Amino acid sequence: MSWQAIDRKSAPADEGPGLSDAVKEKIRAFFPRYETKRAVMLPALHVAQEAIGYISVRAMKDIAELLELPPSAVMDVVTFYTHYWTHPRGEKVLMVCRSLSCQLMGADKLQHAIETKLGIKDHETTPDGKFSFMTEECLAACDHAPCLMVNERMHKRVTPEQLDKLLADADSDKLPMPRSDLYDAPHGEKPARGH
Amino acid sequence: MPKITVDGKQIECRDGVPVLQAVLEAGWDVPHYCYHPGLSVVASCRLCLMEMKMPHPQTKEMDWAPKLFPSCQTPVKDGMEVRFASEGVASSQSHVMEYYLVNHPLDCPVCDKAGECYLQDYSEKFGHASSRMVEDKHKNPKKDIGSKTLLYSDRCVVCSRCVRFGDEVAGAGELRVINRGHRAEIDVFPGVPLENELQGNVVDLCPVGALLSKDFLFQQRVWNLRSTPSVDPTTSAGATIWIDHNDDRIFRVRPRFNEKVNEWWISDETRFGWKYVADSKRLNQPLQRDNGAMKPLRWEAAPELLRRLLDEAASADQGVGVACVLSPMLSCEEAWLLSTFVRSRAPQATLVTGYVPVSGPDKTFPKGFKISAEKAPNRRGVESIIKAMGGPNATFEQFVKSAGDGKFKLAYVTGGYPQVWLTADQARAIGKVQTLITHDLFESALDEYATIRLPGASWAEREGSFMNADGLIQPFERALKPLDGVKSDGQFFHELVGRPGLYRGAKTREAMAEKIPAFGDIFVPRPEPEHAH
Repeated sequence: MSWQAIDRKSAPADEGPGLSDAVKEKIRAFFPRYETKRAVMLPALHVAQEAIGYISVRAMKDIAELLELPPSAVMDVVTFYTHYWTHPRGEKVLMVCRSLSCQLMGADKLQHAIETKLGIKDHETTPDGKFSFMTEECLAACDHAPCLMVNERMHKRVTPEQLDKLLADADSDKLPMPRSDLYDAPHGEKPARGH
Repeated sequence: MPKITVDGKQIECRDGVPVLQAVLEAGWDVPHYCYHPGLSVVASCRLCLMEMKMPHPQTKEMDWAPKLFPSCQTPVKDGMEVRFASEGVASSQSHVMEYYLVNHPLDCPVCDKAGECYLQDYSEKFGHASSRMVEDKHKNPKKDIGSKTLLYSDRCVVCSRCVRFGDEVAGAGELRVINRGHRAEIDVFPGVPLENELQGNVVDLCPVGALLSKDFLFQQRVWNLRSTPSVDPTTSAGATIWIDHNDDRIFRVRPRFNEKVNEWWISDETRFGWKYVADSKRLNQPLQRDNGAMKPLRWEAAPELLRRLLDEAASADQGVGVACVLSPMLSCEEAWLLSTFVRSRAPQATLVTGYVPVSGPDKTFPKGFKISAEKAPNRRGVESIIKAMGGPNATFEQFVKSAGDGKFKLAYVTGGYPQVWLTADQARAIGKVQTLITHDLFESALDEYATIRLPGASWAEREGSFMNADGLIQPFERALKPLDGVKSDGQFFHELVGRPGLYRGAKTREAMAEKIPAFGDIFVPRPEPEHAH
């Protein structure tokens, strides 16, 4: 009801998983790269999301402690960016563009097909935890509309008919290209340089 | 001092201020939400936009630049020319106002801010009378974000003043903006509520009705309130405040801008420290001991009785056996009147600085706001008066000790503290005084020893001045009529001294300054510009 106020004073009953010592160490490895600890916010959130699949309340608190910030400052950044998840995410995240070019080329049909096939709506996850679905403002490939992104891999000119094959493909989310020389690998691991 | 031209008029401004601050100080009403002189500038509300003359890129002639500039983020520069009275600026203001009201619930009839809300004021002056919005409104939720504060985020304009206040002034940073775009809202981290000691200020800072004080919620429409300038009675810092009251009841206390002490802020201690004024346990009847029992005493008979008692006690030895405890809760004027009265009858009477409550160390916040550990407003004022009066004097501890040793025949003890201020041991020692006159707000351990017990008035029912810990003498006015049966301390002392007419703080101060010149120099903070907020 509109006159009722949400209680924000008490912590949620389930704060979700926290960060392990190894993950915290990974985040600390970023500190020497920046002038302030605050600047490590985005890499730290990436590391956390990679480790536990999303950014839990507990993880936000852990990061706040590491970066010596109030936890609200972490929540501010997490909620600003749509690609940080604040609730559990499936193994593969399907992102459909909802901007003009893709819409004209049938993105809404594609979205409808995904929603009926998986039985989930925007920003939801299938019960088996395999797939999550979200819409995206633009995937920057209007010339190949409609586009569908699965984790890091972009699929172009996707029709609803191709969907079954795409969902069944175990590698549909792998970026096919190796990283470029300019890629700055997180948490200090040595990347394979060159192509 | 730079001179700038605004709407064709030349104004002089302070160095280094933004154009917005300069024009507000010169009397312009420029709409603004996010700008606050005490906080960093973010230029996010886009309401204070202005036109500015700049050199034309080709001809190099000075001409009006085609785009608008945020006046809060543009520092004044000698010779600059800006204008607010133009079609471009007016149209921008009206469009921005329309955006602000797109999702606003327009629930002014139930909103505490109505009447002092800058959405209302600016809509009236710069916006539209009606909305063109036909779509469903996006509705952000109402949130309980702390023990003293509610957040109605559907009314919020996301100016981020509260967020910056929490970061920069309070140093706690509990409030943040979450999400973005039209979904942006202010929030606290779940389980980390807004609980810093300056949190009440975010309610004053909020230009709309989004942040609300639970204490003031639905208590009073603001247009029924009258504001009286006053000074914080809870600590020795001397923060200046407004007492908002109606029908002799205080409803809230707000900060009053003071460039030397508290700037735009007050602590929650000051903000909510007035509750004792309305306490039902307050004394409201003068009493006199008659054969062991306390019997009512008429106020009219009290001065004569006190004079007689004092004369009896002082007749033999010039009043060596007389003491007068001047509480640091008294105003300078009251302390002066009372000590003048006592010394006029007993020239060798001992003047005592009353008990000074101290709690913890001083606290300093990031931008320099201080919460003083000394929880009485006028210790320094009372000390200066005692020093200026000369003659015997004592600290409170010395007084208690000599009273216990039976040195005093008569003592006039003023209290006026909102909290318990005496231990039973201290009371027993003071109780050795044969004739004990107490003047206090609440019952105390002294009552069983008192010969005469007079009810005191709270600071809101009195007038005068307090000298803060830095020696600033700041006058305060009377906001309320004293409780039924209570006479304001100043008026009573005025009658004791035998002065004609009614007690007035300013008049008494003049008379006092003739004897003690230091009290001629009072400090009144400069008023904030009319349209600033």
